[in-house]
Order: sequence, then structure tokens, then C-alpha cells
Amino acid sequence: MVLQLVKWEILKITRSTAYARSLAVALLMLGLSILLLSYVVLMGLALEPILVQGLGKEDPIGFLNSILIYFFLFEIIYRYFVQGLPVVELESLLHLPISKSWIIRFLLIRSFISPLSLIPVLLFTPFAIMGIAGAYGYSGAVSWLALLFLFSWSLHWIMLWFKQRFEDSMIGVAVIFVVFMLGTGSSYFGYYNIGEIFLPVFSFALSSYVPALLMLLVCAAAFFLCYTYYRRHAYLEDLTADEDIKFANQSFGLFSRFGLAGEMADLEWKLIIRHKKSRSYLTLSGLFLLYGLIFYANPAYQTDDGFSYIFVFVGSFITGVFILQYGQLFLSWNSASFDFFLNQKGGVEALVKGKYILFIVISALCFLFSVPYVYFGWEILLIHLATFVFNVGIVIHLVILMALWKPKPMDLNKGGMFNYEGLGLAQFMMVIPLMIAPYVVFLPFAYWINDYAGIMALMVVGMGGIFFFNLLAKGSIRRVMRNRYEISSSFRQEL
Amino acid sequence: MITIEGLKKRYKEATVLDVPKLQIYRTECFGLVGNNGAGKTTLFRIMLDLVRATEGQVCFEGEDVSRTENWKRRVGAYLDEHMLLAFLTPDEYFESLRRIYGLSQEDLAQHLDRFRELFNDEILGKKKYIRDLSKGNLKKVGIAAALIGNPAAVLLDEPFENLDPSSQNRLKRFILQEKERNEITFLLSSHDLAHVTDICDRIVLLEKGKIIKDLIDKELMASELFQYFDQ
Repeated sequence: MVLQLVKWEILKITRSTAYARSLAVALLMLGLSILLLSYVVLMGLALEPILVQGLGKEDPIGFLNSILIYFFLFEIIYRYFVQGLPVVELESLLHLPISKSWIIRFLLIRSFISPLSLIPVLLFTPFAIMGIAGAYGYSGAVSWLALLFLFSWSLHWIMLWFKQRFEDSMIGVAVIFVVFMLGTGSSYFGYYNIGEIFLPVFSFALSSYVPALLMLLVCAAAFFLCYTYYRRHAYLEDLTADEDIKFANQSFGLFSRFGLAGEMADLEWKLIIRHKKSRSYLTLSGLFLLYGLIFYANPAYQTDDGFSYIFVFVGSFITGVFILQYGQLFLSWNSASFDFFLNQKGGVEALVKGKYILFIVISALCFLFSVPYVYFGWEILLIHLATFVFNVGIVIHLVILMALWKPKPMDLNKGGMFNYEGLGLAQFMMVIPLMIAPYVVFLPFAYWINDYAGIMALMVVGMGGIFFFNLLAKGSIRRVMRNRYEISSSFRQEL
Repeated sequence: MITIEGLKKRYKEATVLDVPKLQIYRTECFGLVGNNGAGKTTLFRIMLDLVRATEGQVCFEGEDVSRTENWKRRVGAYLDEHMLLAFLTPDEYFESLRRIYGLSQEDLAQHLDRFRELFNDEILGKKKYIRDLSKGNLKKVGIAAALIGNPAAVLLDEPFENLDPSSQNRLKRFILQEKERNEITFLLSSHDLAHVTDICDRIVLLEKGKIIKDLIDKELMASELFQYFDQ
């Protein structure tokens, strides 16, 4: 039965009308995963020398044990953002004599086969062999490693449950924020030191299997929690997002000034706020407004003259995260009703223009909300202004250009259960090439003249993009018009 | 064969289905009719454990469908195209079902042979994915799939919808034949009164989730239904 399910998965991917795009994304993902995992391996091999020679720690094992909890807090946060949730076409399986338990177990195990599950293995195994085995014997190394692996894998199941359970809810965001504050606030005010609190647990694992055995129980309980939750929700009614009409008649008044395109932008706005999936992108834009706090307040990024180059990345992300994320699925959001736009006079053109308007308005709002960062210095405001202008002038067209390559259909009316197409690793990885664009402009000027010249260059190029906005937008519109029949048929075939 | 007791389905405050008691007997051809939103599809979905019941239970041969899954081997169903695997060709889909139901190649060939007339040479051996089939042909694939594995009961939602007139007549003949030959219990929901009155031994009329008529007299069925829907 498992082989049958695996075979169906493969056929579903290879026969998708967006296969070429999926394949390219998969290859890019594979390359990036290998690259990132090889960094993790190198980091693992160099962990002991880094601790001893780099940081001058005489007791690297004790020091590592005192900071391990931060690694796991960080793991909670990255799992929240990049860990994908299981997806399956449940409607086509539930009526068949395949037990739900099989389907759910298959899904959960498939979700476990991920580079994220390998990170603790690659990072800590070399240290356990080279460092711990010498001091505590192989038994100590094995029990310590077992605790770490099981800790990480427990987080896998807990986050799988947590993300599904608190999807589109403020509780989810609040918990992640608390985890974040718990980590960054630790020892900052002198009230508590979370590393010291957990140190005895990891130290005890060096001489005893008890912590690992207890963690095994936690891991089994987390798997069971996840399994029961998914099993209990394997019903058709959980697949359809039947929401209360809580956002009725909420138009964006500003859009009415832009004619038909404005009308389309308003429709898109309604689409965003009335569907869980699209709403999560909006929430993410709000959440990323806080992204700067990690960098701007951090002494590691303070320089004597100019500013850290990473700030350009932060600024691009804060003012453009909505364009980068939502824009990647440019037409997919409208896949269920694409024929409606085709059927209207000038409908497709207005749809594309409407999206441009929406992106610009939301990006502008993100910029305005980020103005308080001026507290950290005027240069931060300048960076945000420049990256905002660059996003609106240049990045917006790049995102749309990429998104128009074999767009995938998406069923927005499906609920989140078993259908999580939101914030996966691929979604995050795809923004990397787009994040390089501002640096292509910024770096040469920053290197040869100074940082502010780089910022001016970003602004000037962005303004150029805005000046030629109509010309560039027409290119995208022409592309959509040229491929409208292919796009429409690909949307119809898969839905 | 199928017993429904105290069945209720509520979405927030609205009760969309309220069936205190209903029994469907072996080899019965049971029709379910009613206007849009009467609860026909919801009732079928609860019978198949695709949707949770708020109260009450559905038992198939004494087994509560929400507690076990053994009944799935003896119940076939086709409610809509989401029940199919759209990325397979019809041949591949039937082959997958053959493996799931543990049938031999000969069994499958024999099974599909029963549908030769209904398929009208438009389904098998064509290099076309299910997602690319017409609505009528999707229905034919779904119906043939629902009957794989010699089920004791088959639930079909709007089986005549989207079929051309010839196919509708072929399907009617097929259902009657299967009922007689293989003693299959058919449960059909339909808006086509002429077809359901032609083939069903019993017709239940739903209105706003409640059973308001349970018709078993073949002579009076058509007139009572036409009278109701004429109001």
C-alpha cells in the first residue's frame, strides 16, 4: 500500500502541468539543501576547534551544553517558518478501502524525510565522536547524541501539530514571539539564564541514558499527538475552509481612484483577506516588520563608518516581503477564476495592473510602518526608503517575471488541513535570487565610493524603474496576454 | 443493510440534516430526491464517513461506519470527480484499484467488460488523463470505479447528470441488471425524477434535511413527486 501511495505521489508531480517549474524548483532546492547541509557538516567538524581555539573555552563540552537550548529555541523558530506540512489529495482516497491510519502514517513519515531532520545529526555527531567520546566514552557520546536527536525530532512532530492547529491564529504568532523573546531576553535583564537552567539536563546525558529515554517518551508522545490530530481531522469538512463572512464589504477606498485596475486591486484585496492562505502572507508581512530588531539593535552589526551591508537585505525584506512572497504565486491566486478575467474586456490587463497597484500599496504601508526604526539612526530610514523604491521600481518586475514562468494552479477554497501550500522551504529559497538584485546595484558603489553612494545607486535605479514603470509593466502584461490560453488551460487541468 | 439512527448534522446553529430513523434493505434500489440544499449529498457523505455526524450513527451491516473501516471493502461510491485521481489515465486508475482490492487481471478485465456499452469506446486505451476527460466521461469512470470489488452497496450522487441521453439509458439498464444479477443495493440521489421513478423501488424525499416522504408504491411515486416539485 505504501508503494502505491509513493507511486501516486511521483505520478502526481511528474504529470503536473507545472512540472517544469516544480522540477526546476526541486533541483534548486536540492542544490541549496546540499550546499547548506555541507556547511552544517563543516560546522560540525569544526565545532570543537571553534569552541576551544576560537572562543577560548577550556571546557567546550560544558560550554556547548550551556548553549544547546538556544539551538533548540532557534530550531522552533526556523521550523515554524520553513517546515512544510503534509499535503495529500484526501478526497480521492477516503472512500477507498485504504485505512485512514495508513494514509496519515504515510504522510507523517514522508514529512520526516527532510533536510531539517538531518541538521542535528550532521552538526553534533562529529563533536560527539571527537570531543565527547574521548572524555566520557562512546556510551556517553551515544546517550548525549540520542538526547539531541530525539529533542530535535520531537520538535518536528510538535511543530507539525502546532502549525496545523494554530494556523492563521494569533496564538501561533504569539507563541513564536514568546519563544523568540525567551531566547533573546535570557540573561539580558539578569533575571534568568535559560542556558544555565537546561545545562544539568544535557550534562546528565553524558553519564546516563535517563534523559535520552525520557526524551524518547516525549518524542513518542509528540508523534502520537500529531497522528491523532491529523487522523481526527481526516474528514472532507476539514478540507474546505468554510469561514464566517467576517470581512464583508471591506473595500480599500484608495483603489477606486485607479479605474478598472483599481477595481481588480480591490477584488484581490478581498481575495487576500477572505482566504486563510493569502491572509497568512499578509500576517507574515506584519511579522517581518519586527525583523529589523534582530539586526539593528545587535552590536555585532555595528560598524565605525557607514553601516553593515546586511541592512540592505533587512530593508529589502521589511519593505518587500509581501511582493516577494505573495508575488511568487502571482496568477496562481486567481487560478480558480482566471477564465472570469479572460472573459472580461481588458480583464487580464486590469488584473495584472491591479496586482501592481496592490503590491505597491502594501509595500508602501510596510515602509511607513517601518519608519519608527529611525530610532536606530537616520541611515536605517534611508536604507528602507532606498530598498522600498528599488522594490517598487525593479524587484516587483523581477518577481512577476519569475512567477509568470509556468504558473501553478491553487485551490484557495480548500482549508489548511492536508493542503498547506503556504510557507514552505521552497517559498523561502525562491526569494534568494531576488534578494541578490539589490546587492548587484549596491555593492559596486559601496565598495568603490562609500555605503551611502550604494544607497543612492539603489534609489536612482529604483526611480528609473518607476519612471519606466508603464513600459516594464506592459512587458509583463504582454507576456500574460501571449500565454493566456496556456495559463488558462493549465489552471483548468489541475483544479 | 444500512441503518440510520438519530442522525443530525449541524453547521454552527443551522441543522442541515435530521434523520431520526431510516433503514435501507438489501438489493433495494433506493432513491433520494429533494431540492438544492435538502441534504442529499450531506447524507451520502455521512454514510461514507467523509463528513462527521453531529449526533447519531450510520451502521452498515451492523458496523458503525465512523468506528471501523472494514465496510469500505463492501461499499462503493462515486459522489463527484474529487473522488478520482485526476493525474492518472482511466486504465491506470482501474489498475490501481485492482491492486487495492486484490483482484486478478482477469477479474478487472471482466469487470470493465460489463461497462463496454456505457464506455462507448471513449474511456479505455486512450492516452488521456482523467483530468482531461469530459464531465460525462468522468462520471462513467467514477461509476465503473465504484463497482470494482463486487460491493454489496453502491452510492451514486447524480449519476445521470452530464451524461448524454444514450448513456443515461445505458446506465439505467446497467443499474437494473446489476441489481438483479449481483444483488447490489443501489443508493442514488438525483434531480431527474423520470429516471429515479423508473428504476428505484423506493424513494425518499428530503426537505431542509428532513425526510418528508418515504414512497414505496411504484404506481404513486411519480405523481406524488411531480405534485411536490410542482408547488
